[in-house]
Amino acid sequence: MRTQITTLLAGLGLVATALTPALAHHAFGGEFDPNKPVLLKGKITKIEWVNPHAWIHLEIQKPDGAVACEFTPNAKCEEWMVEGGTPNTLLRRGITRDSLTRGTEIVVDGYQTRDHSLARANGRNVTFPDGRKLFLGSSGTGAPVDGADPTEGRGRGRGRGGNN
Amino acid sequence: MVVMASAQTSSRIPRLPDGKPDLQGMYDLAMLTPVERPAGLPAVLSDEQAAKLEKQAVEAARSGALPIDGNRTAPPKGGDGSVGPAGNVGGYNTFWLDRGTHYSTVDGQKRSSIVVDPPDGRVPALTPEARQRSTAARSAYQRQTSDQTESTDPGLEPAGAYDDPERRPLGERCVLGFGSTSGPPILPNYFYNNLHQIVQTPDTVMILTEMVHDARIVRLNAQHAPAHVRKWLGDSVGHWEGDTLVVETTNFSAKTRFRGSTDNLKVTEYFTRVDANSLKYRFTVEDPTTWERPWTGEYTWPITQDHLYEYACHEGNYAMENILRGARLREAEEMGKTKQ
Repeated sequence: MRTQITTLLAGLGLVATALTPALAHHAFGGEFDPNKPVLLKGKITKIEWVNPHAWIHLEIQKPDGAVACEFTPNAKCEEWMVEGGTPNTLLRRGITRDSLTRGTEIVVDGYQTRDHSLARANGRNVTFPDGRKLFLGSSGTGAPVDGADPTEGRGRGRGRGGNN
Repeated sequence: MVVMASAQTSSRIPRLPDGKPDLQGMYDLAMLTPVERPAGLPAVLSDEQAAKLEKQAVEAARSGALPIDGNRTAPPKGGDGSVGPAGNVGGYNTFWLDRGTHYSTVDGQKRSSIVVDPPDGRVPALTPEARQRSTAARSAYQRQTSDQTESTDPGLEPAGAYDDPERRPLGERCVLGFGSTSGPPILPNYFYNNLHQIVQTPDTVMILTEMVHDARIVRLNAQHAPAHVRKWLGDSVGHWEGDTLVVETTNFSAKTRFRGSTDNLKVTEYFTRVDANSLKYRFTVEDPTTWERPWTGEYTWPITQDHLYEYACHEGNYAMENILRGARLREAEEMGKTKQ
């Protein structure tokens, strides 16, 4: 959520510094079409755990879908790919591509690629149907350590190195 | 007395069998101290100032992780208004980011900028020559696409910059990490994957940078490569001055262009192990054809127990394909308009 980051930086008085130009691996606006907003609701079929960006594949049930749904019997689906960030950050928090079960239902809002023949979008917000964000959980519930809670020990997940 | 003090200091740092300081380890450079000092901040933050800003950063990460409406609609047509590289379409959830939540502490001081010389904490002004170079580079793109309709689309500007993959930024092309992560000078990208690993032998030091998996080889007590040999990360040679490893890098490629510099760029780095848990990193940047004067920065590299992971950037760089496809489609649309 770049807007939130920008807001944060503004709060810190850092917007005018060298920070701002560094806030992207690539040209988001060159890749995705601001005039093609999408809301995708579907089930995860695959996660490509690759750099520079992980890609979450999901199937969306559509009457005129081109393929048979994997997780909904006797239904047609459309396949989409959603861009995430680097998986390395998540690995360090103990999260792997196996942390999310295939078939998990998710909701994604974003913008489609400029080439509309591709069923691809940016994962501007990726959540469960109840609005909780993916890969996040509160501490003390067995959820992966995600760094979002300042009271939890950081890096206790499987990605932790050192002399444990 | 002086000798004793020195001996006490040096006994606190790990050493190799040959007595040289052991710089080896995994370092996480994620932090809040920016390269240049923001207006209105002193060079050294008070504990209260630092604590307040650090708390804000933690709070921003926390609030970014809060649930949102599961029944939300698609974002607005025409873009979400996000500025800069977010290109009016936004990025991804904050759980992907690891920006750091502390200000760098150097010599017991919480620093508000990496740059320490000039004393105002700002990179010196560009020379007239460098300004001209920068303008010429921009107009070159515009000239090649002067037949195209001026677009107001913030995502594909400047026109011409998307003509082929080699015009795209080095980070996007997976050539180097963005934000001078590999350096030299090595800087945090204030985003993610700021891990670096140092491996050291008596005659060679290797610095591995997670973004974009660059390994810089520093040859100790060696001569620079011949002047015609040019490298993305330059040619690094080093030597010990007391307990500090001094690394000089020249022979940069003219395509590296750190902050608009030329292949005249020279970077001198000073690696000093402070204690078992940290290393002080100091650097001086010189290019008389780019800046009015040399400039120097410093910050602390904290040891981390985290792992550095492979960053096989080309492996899944769908983004480049998507970007170039978008640019080609726009070209086709513009051609269609011209013909009508």
